[in-house]
Amino acid sequence: MFSASALRLNIVDRPLAKGKSEVSLSAFAFLFSELVQYSQTRVSNIGELERRLEDVGRGVGLRLLETLCHRERGGKRDTRLLDVLKFVHTTLWKYLFGRQARDLEQSNAVDDEYMISDYDLFVTKYISVPKDLGTFTPAAFVAGVVKGVLDGAGFPARVSAHFVAVKGQAKPKTTILVKFEPSVLQRESRLPNT
Amino acid sequence: METINAEIFTLTYGSMVRQLIADLEDISAVNKQLDEMGYNIGIRLIDEFLAKSKTGKCGDFRETVDRVAKVGFRMFLNTTAAVTNWNAEGTECSLILEDNPLTDFVELPEGCQNLVYCNVLCGVIRGALEQVSINTECSFVRDVLRGSDVSELRLKLLSLNKEEYPFKDDD
Amino acid sequence: MPAIYALYVINKSGGLIFNKEFVTIASNSLNDTLRLASIWHSLHAIAVQLAPAPGCTGIELLRADTFDLHCFQTLTGTKFLVVAEPDTPDVEALLRETVYDLYADYVLKNPFYEVEMPIRCELFDQNLFNTIAAVHRRWGLVH
Repeated sequence: MFSASALRLNIVDRPLAKGKSEVSLSAFAFLFSELVQYSQTRVSNIGELERRLEDVGRGVGLRLLETLCHRERGGKRDTRLLDVLKFVHTTLWKYLFGRQARDLEQSNAVDDEYMISDYDLFVTKYISVPKDLGTFTPAAFVAGVVKGVLDGAGFPARVSAHFVAVKGQAKPKTTILVKFEPSVLQRESRLPNT
Repeated sequence: METINAEIFTLTYGSMVRQLIADLEDISAVNKQLDEMGYNIGIRLIDEFLAKSKTGKCGDFRETVDRVAKVGFRMFLNTTAAVTNWNAEGTECSLILEDNPLTDFVELPEGCQNLVYCNVLCGVIRGALEQVSINTECSFVRDVLRGSDVSELRLKLLSLNKEEYPFKDDD
Repeated sequence: MPAIYALYVINKSGGLIFNKEFVTIASNSLNDTLRLASIWHSLHAIAVQLAPAPGCTGIELLRADTFDLHCFQTLTGTKFLVVAEPDTPDVEALLRETVYDLYADYVLKNPFYEVEMPIRCELFDQNLFNTIAAVHRRWGLVH
């Protein structure tokens, strides 16, 4: 009846460490590279490859939302659209990349689309995408993390990652495109203006 | 050496394992897949290990294992493994892992009790050593996720490839 | 004036998987270069057998009138070669550290690179070019 593990602290009672311990970027890079290679064997087109990477990212995002709200927000979660976007742009980004994202913009064309952009995300640092894979970007994983955070926070959206060439810059920027579901905007419009 | 928050690594690995379980369903197939993925990682990771640690040729298997346990684990996982339980011939030993970023806050659910969650590590070690002509077998004999206090990897030297010239023609 | 003329990478089986000229030299066709890489691979192995002193690990330097050929073989069997102006300093360190590091980063961590196959990784090319350009600038050579 009493297993050896019962003598150890129950996992839920263990202190949630401040998240300061580190591993080498190389460890992540090799793991991620193998994940991409494995994924390629399970798909027949680029869209599916991106979706698989997004799925892995989503699992991470869902959990990060809980962890970050607990650690950085005293257990509170944002309920307004702009606040949750700021959470992604600032808190989530700082946690993942050590800084807040470069840009947070709303699309000019439609009001349910927002873009978060940045350069040099470590996820894609060592990856050279061959030309025949077209617009594929391994940052689909990051899009998945963002999607996980938004889904968990009650802001369902379609999230995708894109490399965007920038005039005057040698390297393209990575843009995470967020398109919120109509239900989110409807709910937002019912709430009082902040 | 550039580092990232260990949690990102832990969560990504966990998410990947979950995806494997969804893909393959059969737990022993997942274990096998984890080992294979580890092998694919190992055959690439060895060069970075050699480049960054400036490791030269080791004198014997003991020295090799020592480097893996102290330098290798430290370089990539920011932890070390203790090397114990050598057999008389010096061809088999155990690597004891107390601290492992892969398993932080992980619990195996019902129905996954046979999952060797960190089997990827066995593949990494096997693949890496194979690239420097050392053929080994590596498997978990104790696992913190399945009730033990520590995780123990049993590493067995099978053979060493000696390079000889003339090389066989590619068949 | 010191200069790095070209870099080659040979895989474990003796196949040329990367070649890049940084300074235009009288270059060979790709076929010739492939053949030369293969010949080098064999010569390297024969040298190990011929060496009178024990513990020889292969040819590290070939000196000719108009160039030095430096060769670094990793413990995994991959060879990095540089053709340089005679007496160019620090080439060994360049191969063992800088180039090997770039290879470990931008080739081996690339999921779209298949091991032992020809290297076609844009980031490797870019970073290598930048590294050699910086080294040349230090020596006063302009690309």
